[in-house]
Amino acid sequence: MRPRASHIILAAAAVLLILLLAGEAVDPVLYAAENISTAAHADPSTIEKRSPGDAASVVPLMDELLGHTGTLALTIKVKDYESAERDLARYSELSSQFDRLVVKLDLSETDIAEFQKSNRQNQEAMAALLNDSQRLDELKSLEIEVLDGDQRMAVIYEGEALRQKMKETYTAYANREPETARIATRYGANATSYEESVDVLDEVVGAAEEWQEGNGTSSGAPRSPLTISITPREGRYGENLTINGTYGGGIPGTPVTIYIDSRIARNTTLDGNATYEYPYRIGRVLAGPHLVYATAATIFSEVTTFDVLAADTNISLAVVEVNRTAVACTGNLTTEDGRPVLEAPVLLRVDGETLISTETDGNGTYARTLVLTGGEHTIRAEFNAAGYPLNSSRSQVETLQVRGEGLSPFPFIAAIAAALGAGWYIRRRGLPEEHPVQEEPDIEPPPEIAETVPSVEIEGLPPREAATLLFRALRERLGIPASKTPRECARLAPDHAAFFERYERIRYAGEVPTEEELRSMEREALGRG
Amino acid sequence: MQRETWVVILVLLLAGGALYLHITTTTEEFSRHNIGWNGTSNLPAEDVRDLSRLDPGSTLLILAPDRPFTAAEVGYLRAFLDGGGRIIIADEEGAANPLLVDLESEIRVRPGNLSSLERDYAHPGLFKGYVVENDTLFAGVETVLLNRPAAVEGGEPLVETSVFTWDDIDGDGHVGEGETFGRRVVCAREGNLIVLGDASLFINAMLPENTKFIENLQPVQIDAVHSRTGSRNPIINTLTWIEERPPAVAALAALAILPVAWRFGRKRE
Repeated sequence: MRPRASHIILAAAAVLLILLLAGEAVDPVLYAAENISTAAHADPSTIEKRSPGDAASVVPLMDELLGHTGTLALTIKVKDYESAERDLARYSELSSQFDRLVVKLDLSETDIAEFQKSNRQNQEAMAALLNDSQRLDELKSLEIEVLDGDQRMAVIYEGEALRQKMKETYTAYANREPETARIATRYGANATSYEESVDVLDEVVGAAEEWQEGNGTSSGAPRSPLTISITPREGRYGENLTINGTYGGGIPGTPVTIYIDSRIARNTTLDGNATYEYPYRIGRVLAGPHLVYATAATIFSEVTTFDVLAADTNISLAVVEVNRTAVACTGNLTTEDGRPVLEAPVLLRVDGETLISTETDGNGTYARTLVLTGGEHTIRAEFNAAGYPLNSSRSQVETLQVRGEGLSPFPFIAAIAAALGAGWYIRRRGLPEEHPVQEEPDIEPPPEIAETVPSVEIEGLPPREAATLLFRALRERLGIPASKTPRECARLAPDHAAFFERYERIRYAGEVPTEEELRSMEREALGRG
Repeated sequence: MQRETWVVILVLLLAGGALYLHITTTTEEFSRHNIGWNGTSNLPAEDVRDLSRLDPGSTLLILAPDRPFTAAEVGYLRAFLDGGGRIIIADEEGAANPLLVDLESEIRVRPGNLSSLERDYAHPGLFKGYVVENDTLFAGVETVLLNRPAAVEGGEPLVETSVFTWDDIDGDGHVGEGETFGRRVVCAREGNLIVLGDASLFINAMLPENTKFIENLQPVQIDAVHSRTGSRNPIINTLTWIEERPPAVAALAALAILPVAWRFGRKRE
């Protein structure tokens, strides 16, 4: 094959290959196949795998939580307070686990979140009923020891306060049961234990009422000299309620302790009119009814309630680039009427999966700097209102392009150094292009290197055989190895190319040389011409 | 032969191979000629173009149907079912519903964007389905990896999703307003007719995920006329047409051999 033709074919084939490959080569999938999907399906081999346990543990956890209500109610009923404390601690731990799961799985807009809220309220109710039952037992013991006088009245007042409180707590607990059980059943969780707990707690509260009735104080109990009232009786997050009252016969300066949901909310004193007042700002408490009572020394007020109403929230998010890899996320968390939500946890959900925690300050503003890898990212701010009388909210999703670390100069430096080194090496060894003869030392057999003229006698020989003898003679004269074909000889000695090509036709195409041609070839072979 | 000639032949072979691959494959979804992840080239099945010649007692897979069946073809399918054959219709776009009506089936495919929380992959549409009823198709299979399936209504449920499945109407990947959790049936049967709301189970990328299920399917014939398993590429269709006709193949082979024979004959002379 002629070198020129073979080069053209090679070039054409190479161009064709390059063109075919070029169409595919620009496809980034070749280099970083990630999250490949179409409208119909996704390619599992390019999708990130994750732990399967998260969602699978929701229903078992619901089961456990519901089961714990039953156990806890029973231990309260049988007055095994030590076991009840342990059960409550475990219940609280499971509830926290469930809260985290709801956030992680992004379930805040589902009925699972409703279940979570009810469960939290149930947990608080159980804690209150446990404390109240314990205190009630103490009062019963005290009543036996203290037979008359102010101390007995104090016991009766406190007992009455506890009775009312337990009743309120139980009523709220029982009211939540149908909806909570419905959600649980929908997901296949067993709500039997929870449903039974309602009956058991009814008995616990019933026992408290019986004891008070036994004292003749349940319905017709003497009014406590320590009064309490709340205005207004309901409010939303950030609003103020006024809790006040008087202590008939109380001495100015007498300490008064105000309890909200059995926890000390404020210590104050009676003023000159034997009254007290506490402006209560609704903060991080659950929505729903809350119990309030006050004590002054051993005297308990009656129990009163106020309602906290749930409010919607708004959360904003602004993302600003700090540098090539860091972005600053800021925003505000407010209620629907514009009140800032203070010191509240805010989650930044990056790329739908990764959760980063931050918190609002005293103005309801949060700020957090995130360091991200290069490429496109999505960020959303979320407020999961667990423990607040607020509804969850989430910001708009912000999509941003992070430039990422600039390309490291080292690979480029290394490539340049390698190229320079290779250049130097090739130059030193001698570039093949610059010395093509070195590749094939026999490529330029100089005619002068073999000037020995062979003797050839072609007289009387058939023309084709004569031509063969002349070919061998010329080849010998030029010092070309005998293994070379006529075509190779033509390439090696271009000055005699016509001779060799003519001989090639004689040898392979069967042509017969004329006498004149033979003479001409003889002259050339013997170098006479 | 000179060194250059060998190189030329080698490069030409490579170029020819690349060109052949290029023109005889496609990237069309579900195509039997698509060797990529979303094709069905690796599904072991025999292509069937004439529904009147189905093997009685065998299994026919109608995968991602997108063309109507004639009354005669529906008749063949009914006869096939009556004769003990099993038909599996895998569809996630609802295109199979007219055929289901014609086959007097109660089952319907309800397209949607089913997503699940209970999954091993980050993609919400890639999740497990649970086998809830015995069937030879699911013998030894407890779960099936589904890939953006559609819900199926009616019939006897064979595969259901977990309770944490929702129709992601807004496509944001999480359960939002108006989207509720609940179990969905993704495969149901009615006699010998099985409707699977996920044609993606048969794409190349999914075959290694559900090996036992694919094994249970065998031997299977696949409808190559009414579904997206074909191709719109005219070169592929021409080659397929030739492959299906032995005389055409013979003629083509002769056309290829003749020049070579002529060349050798001339040399010998």
